[in-house]
Amino acid sequence: MSKPQANQNSLKPGKWIRSTCKMCLHSCSTRVHVTDDGVINKIEGDPTNPSNAGKLCPKGNAGIMRHYDPQRFKQPLRRTNPEKGPGIDPKWEPISWEEAFAITAREIKKSLDRDPRLILPSLEDFQKMHIWFWPLAIGNHNFYQSGGTMCGGAYHPLNGYIHSAFGAVNDAKYCNYWISNGAGDGFSSHLHAAAQSHWVAKARIERGMKVVTVEPRMSIAAAKAEEWIPIRPASDRHFAMSLSHVLVYEGLCDYAFLRKDTNAPYLVGPDQLFVRDADGQIYVWDTADNRAKPWNDPTLKNENLALEGEYEVNGVKCRPAFQVYKDTLKEAAPEIIEKITTVPAATVRRIAREFAREARIGDTITLADGRTVPFRPAAYNYYRGAQGRKTGMMTNQAFQLVNMLIGNIDHPGGRCGVTITDGSIDNNHCLPGECGQMLGTPHQLGHMPPFSWPPNEYHLAGFFPVGVNGPHLNMLSYLEPEKYGSTYKPDVLVNCHSNPVWAIQGPRDKWLQFLREMRFIVCVDVIPTEMTDFADIILPASDYLETWNGVMIEPPYTEGICFRQPITPPIHDTKSEEEIFFELSERLGVLDQYNEVINMILGFEQKPHLKLEPGKKYSDRDIAERVGLLWNDKPIEWYMEHGHSSTERRLDKWYRPWEGMRLLFYIEDLVVQRETLRKQFEEAKVPFRDEWPFDDYQPLPTTVLDPIHLEPAEYNLYAITFKDIQMNFGESLSNPWIKDITYRDPVHTGLLLNRGTAQKLGFTDGDIVLVESPYGKLYGRLTTTEAMHHETLGVSNSLSRTKSENRSVLMAGGHYNDLLPYDMRNTDGATGQPETSCRVKLTKLDDWPDFLKHGQTVYDLVDSIRNAKGKGGTH
Amino acid sequence: MAKMGMVFDLKACIGCNACVVACKQENSLPDGVFFTRTLSHEHGTYPNVKRVYIPTICNQCEDAPCEKVCPSGATYTRADGIVMVDKDKCIGCSSCAVACPYDMRTMLDKELFTKGLFGTGELTPFEQQGYGRYSPGTAVKCDFCSERVDAGLQPACVATCPTNARIFGDIDDPNSAPSVLIRERNGRQPLPEKNTRPKVWYVD
Repeated sequence: MSKPQANQNSLKPGKWIRSTCKMCLHSCSTRVHVTDDGVINKIEGDPTNPSNAGKLCPKGNAGIMRHYDPQRFKQPLRRTNPEKGPGIDPKWEPISWEEAFAITAREIKKSLDRDPRLILPSLEDFQKMHIWFWPLAIGNHNFYQSGGTMCGGAYHPLNGYIHSAFGAVNDAKYCNYWISNGAGDGFSSHLHAAAQSHWVAKARIERGMKVVTVEPRMSIAAAKAEEWIPIRPASDRHFAMSLSHVLVYEGLCDYAFLRKDTNAPYLVGPDQLFVRDADGQIYVWDTADNRAKPWNDPTLKNENLALEGEYEVNGVKCRPAFQVYKDTLKEAAPEIIEKITTVPAATVRRIAREFAREARIGDTITLADGRTVPFRPAAYNYYRGAQGRKTGMMTNQAFQLVNMLIGNIDHPGGRCGVTITDGSIDNNHCLPGECGQMLGTPHQLGHMPPFSWPPNEYHLAGFFPVGVNGPHLNMLSYLEPEKYGSTYKPDVLVNCHSNPVWAIQGPRDKWLQFLREMRFIVCVDVIPTEMTDFADIILPASDYLETWNGVMIEPPYTEGICFRQPITPPIHDTKSEEEIFFELSERLGVLDQYNEVINMILGFEQKPHLKLEPGKKYSDRDIAERVGLLWNDKPIEWYMEHGHSSTERRLDKWYRPWEGMRLLFYIEDLVVQRETLRKQFEEAKVPFRDEWPFDDYQPLPTTVLDPIHLEPAEYNLYAITFKDIQMNFGESLSNPWIKDITYRDPVHTGLLLNRGTAQKLGFTDGDIVLVESPYGKLYGRLTTTEAMHHETLGVSNSLSRTKSENRSVLMAGGHYNDLLPYDMRNTDGATGQPETSCRVKLTKLDDWPDFLKHGQTVYDLVDSIRNAKGKGGTH
Repeated sequence: MAKMGMVFDLKACIGCNACVVACKQENSLPDGVFFTRTLSHEHGTYPNVKRVYIPTICNQCEDAPCEKVCPSGATYTRADGIVMVDKDKCIGCSSCAVACPYDMRTMLDKELFTKGLFGTGELTPFEQQGYGRYSPGTAVKCDFCSERVDAGLQPACVATCPTNARIFGDIDDPNSAPSVLIRERNGRQPLPEKNTRPKVWYVD
């Protein structure tokens, strides 16, 4: 097909190699063209993967510009300028790999020998969990990367309770009514963006699936929706509970499902625990015999289990879990809640009724595997924008309860659990728990370290038994070591593909000081970032077009390993992450421990012949080969030819993988965890035990207000941040193709303010403003629009970069994350999730402050684009 | 003979710009040069507001104003209807860019080929292998990836579009996917009052 004269890149003489994208953390399959001269000149989607079906998002299409970025680190580097700061030239000096490894190992070891906790890891390769968990090999649970709470800090633990899975998705293959609340799935972000937007578009176009979007900013999802419902930030839980109020009080629930497949009938006592018999079996109320029986009494019939009512069992007053929530929902009538959400009560009632009607409660569908299961083609989707709350755990649960009430959990068309990886093809992710319930598995990213006082972990992870790591909490130990019991301060930072100083919320000047005080920082990375400005040693990593890997990472609808192989050998003197971390492990004397960590994390233990052996170092190719073998016993040569083993998800692992177990409508474990933790705090006499937010652990959500609503009234607006598909997950704003599209899109080129609000407050389009929150500030230029909630300022992530050595990155006027709190008042006690919205006030300025006047900001680029000719803008 | 055309499904398009970047990859476009774009238009008043994403591309007009005004014969129409520019005949007079009512022609500044995509003054290997197809100073535009079409492939933007918002095919064939869409969903052409007879259509 190729001809020597071809102008178009995909037709030039060369070859196609199947591989996997890594421009975000997900793993769409690719085919990559490399010319006979060895130049990578086209990346396309691989049509043989039933997930992305040949499609790629803009980031996936832009991988070549990362590969050939002239600012890539081309060899190991040592800093010669002792002064560290944003944009200050480190005066790198090239050194050999041997010297770089020797210095790095020596400096890490100095601290390691004193106290392993002095190491602060920030390892963020989501496609390589075996790199992420390297710190376990040195006995360290510290954590500084942003991949915890800035993503789905409460989302993942709650999914672990509801689906025993890491992620969850609305089943676009059948769904007909899709509520999207603060989420981008299927439109602009999150799960395999190209794949999911493909399947959601098919549902919209071919089946006429209705989309209702609830969010403060009209996102892409809202633009495509039949209905955009603007909502006040940080009130999404209240919205969901008001929907649930209508479902419950108008009798619109799937009662058969709740009785048979959930613990909603289990009786709850006044201590929030289930009422149990002497053998520990939980009681339910049998309406046929009008008395309580243990859940497993053989005379019980599901249809006779009471969901409502008040009872007394063995002298204890109790109610079915369903009734407990029903009572709570009294406070959530739409007419009450509309004052919190600004969503009219009539709208809520209409949406709830539509949702229930489209759920087709009672309908079933017969699957290809012969099972007949409930058919529930309506689902509530939510993500970071809605769940990034101080009340994260109960907020997530409020959303999932909307799904659970209509009986759509893990049913066709409903809300389905998505595993991060199954490891081996026959692994089912659901395990039986106590008293007929499914085992809740909140630790989807590994168990949190045990409670300790004084705390072993600088970010206080031991205080969050069911949470995820909250990197912003490092700031508490740093600023108030006496209060938080810090007995040490980390002095060595090991950073890999992570940019916490960009991504974590809290005071920038303090974070910069925190970094400056580190005795030694090593960065493993591909290009300069805000973090590498602080590195003492750079260990340059090969990129995803030069290395091997095998990964299954929460693909909706499919399962299997997406395989990465080198398209070219490394074009610079770089190494894979595996080469780097095995080498460091050997030099630090922890190679055997690291191999054991990998055997556990990647599941090689399941097939003993795949286990890494003590004393041996492995390559990225070795690891990729084993991941493939673990999945389906196929050799690496098979993967090199096929590029992936992705297939439609096996039906028994997709729909009702928990068959025979009851789902957790009521999460009693959160009560148990809370009381255990409270006791630990008491026994250790933790000095701040009276102010610790134990109340964030609730077995069912409440209508408590998030503290953001209680900030001083002078902060008269809310502010939110957002990304679209071209910035989905990791860094891409240094990529010229991504810049070329991003800074032509009006939502990414100014601070978005509702036009009517602007008029009322005396602002106009183009005003330069100072934005202040109770915690920080930024500068920006207003873009007025009709497509923002009337109390809310929208700040694109495209305006978030700060000054750094990366000359391709344009700074704007500060960083949205600087506006956010980092304290426990604004952090979910149950998960560690911090609030991700804030309250702000605006002040109009006559001109930019001096540091933004040098002609190199986003706004300068936007102006130059606006003034250019030949824009193709007429249609 | 076939007549190649494209339909944009405005209901499907999510404005993600995957098409735009795929085009840049496929055609080695210099910085700031586009053969296709995705525009975003808001209308209505809060809270009853809508936003529509509008892909744009060379409309491959049957009565192409660019071809009419071209003094050197550089612009010509292939047998399958694709409007081409022969860079060796183009004299860089810009007449076509002025004549195109859709603003779809770009004159290639010399500087683009020296400053490079990263603005460093050095070209990446990707650019070095790709810029040979262009003559600085001449006019360029989308040609529906004519070489891919000749090879039986879809244009790069169509192949990558996650939502299938770009539908390409022979619009002379009443049974082709674009013809069916135009018919069933009341397709309309851009700026019909210009009488250019575009072979690009939009459906809502």
